[in-house]
Amino acid sequence: MAQATQQTDANADESGPVDLSESSVRELLAGGTFALPYLLIAGTFLFGPLLLALYMSFHDWNALDPAQSQFIGLENYRVLLSDPDFWNALRNTVYFVVLTVPPIVIGSLFLALGVNRDVKGKWLLRTIFFSPYVLTVAVVGLLWTEIFSASGLVPYYVGGGNWLTDHQLAMPAIAIATIWWQLAFNFIILLAARQNVSDRLYEAAKLDGASTWRMMRDITIPQMQNPLIFVVIVTFVGSFQVFGQPFIMTDGGPSFSTTTIVLYLYDTAFTGRQFGYAAAVGYVLFMILIAVSATSYYFLGGDNR
Amino acid sequence: MSVESRGLFDEVSLSNTRLRTIALYVGLYGTAALFLIPYWYMFATSFMTRDLVYAEVPYLIPWDLTLYWYEYLLTNSLIVQWTVNTVILAGITTAVVILVDAMIAYSLTRLEWPGRRAIFAVIVASFMVPGIVNLVPVYIIVSELGLVNSVWGVVLPSAANPLGVFMLVQFFKDIPEELEEAARLDGFSRLRIFTHIVLPLMRSALAALGLFIFIWTWNAFVWPLLIFQSDAMYTLPIGLVTLQDNLGVTEPGVIMTSAVVASVPLLLVFLVMQRHLVRAVEMQGTTK
Repeated sequence: MAQATQQTDANADESGPVDLSESSVRELLAGGTFALPYLLIAGTFLFGPLLLALYMSFHDWNALDPAQSQFIGLENYRVLLSDPDFWNALRNTVYFVVLTVPPIVIGSLFLALGVNRDVKGKWLLRTIFFSPYVLTVAVVGLLWTEIFSASGLVPYYVGGGNWLTDHQLAMPAIAIATIWWQLAFNFIILLAARQNVSDRLYEAAKLDGASTWRMMRDITIPQMQNPLIFVVIVTFVGSFQVFGQPFIMTDGGPSFSTTTIVLYLYDTAFTGRQFGYAAAVGYVLFMILIAVSATSYYFLGGDNR
Repeated sequence: MSVESRGLFDEVSLSNTRLRTIALYVGLYGTAALFLIPYWYMFATSFMTRDLVYAEVPYLIPWDLTLYWYEYLLTNSLIVQWTVNTVILAGITTAVVILVDAMIAYSLTRLEWPGRRAIFAVIVASFMVPGIVNLVPVYIIVSELGLVNSVWGVVLPSAANPLGVFMLVQFFKDIPEELEEAARLDGFSRLRIFTHIVLPLMRSALAALGLFIFIWTWNAFVWPLLIFQSDAMYTLPIGLVTLQDNLGVTEPGVIMTSAVVASVPLLLVFLVMQRHLVRAVEMQGTTK
């Protein structure tokens, strides 16, 4: 779609600078006026800050008087790489990613394929699986805090005491709450993707006597490749940035076992007032996210379509 | 899932497809039941008497009902104020995002000016930027502008929504040019074409985007947490979390009841407008 309009636009764009007639000036003015509010706001609160963060990360930032900030080059990044707290936060985050991404992706795929089948009460099932999407992280966090607390449902029926004060169980508890909450978005995306796969492919495969698994492997998965890549990357990026759940459920504890990178960034910035250092942490996370996205895209064969 | 049991059940002469259907139903409805337990627990606890809430056994059925926690919340917290704040904040943000995003989307698709394709590319690229990188610098900019503890401190940083621009551009492209040309021949100005022809045609896409932004702002956590520094300014999500700290002891009855108050409006909106929300989410899936 994008291609088509770009083709037709090309002529207009080329003739633009040459033909400075009254109408094209008016066109430029109108275009600029309609685009201006967005560009101003995005410049101030999106692109500007991105550059400011980079600038800050090279400084020993003085929170009270920014003019007093000292340029220190890559010092923040150097300190960061030898900071055990950062590595602990990174380790915790990776653990959280490992605990959440596969269940969310595989779970939402199975639910989407299941609901797509000829089952009774599709509408009800879809509503139930999608509903956590509209909850705020505050509700999710508090609700599951109660469920995992000493007198809550999970310790009573599953065991383990208060999961959130247990070293081993705190992160899995946060992961379970997150899976329940985040499955919804991916479920809807994959359900839509599955509905876009042509039924004819399955009819043909059935005539050839293909098994259900075979059809899933050779038709469903390849046909849904792009949405699946999207879901994987979005889930990865989302999980790497987890903040609200540990902030509310454990505040990073017990003994920093659930301190994630963003929680660490938040603490260094807003408790420790180390803005420059926090900006560096942000940029390192940004780099990690780009690397992870690019790697998943590459390994899932995003270009083969 | 059913691989192991297949052999076993074959002897009882259940056909394979039959068995699979059963497994499908058990799997789907079983998962659905698991999904509903947290909601049920939340609602049930909010109506339980103190004795039941603090019982050794976590009861799922409140056989002794009370509205005590609701009354308690109404009299001991600013929950009404927080709800009003949240509605206002979400309303303003939704209106601003729709207006600003629709304007630039219109400009990018319908008006011809040099550089617009480059700008569109930058906007598309910008939704890859994780919000967290901008947390510290945006906070600094917001406080430099004197917007800490003001509604605009939360509205403006989320007002330029790249996802919204992308979604709307896809839709604007599909509006037939002829309509616009006819209007232009009739002497309509650009502004009039935009407000009288383009926007009305886009109603359903705008509704989907608006609903998405509304829910998203209602639920926003990090920004309101940083920007609002007085009880009276809090939104529901922030209020809930501070409630837990302010009360000293964690009162499960209060927490669950406040969670109900914060989520019921959205769950109702969701049930009524599910179609639009599903559409908004699907549009995001097609962005790549």
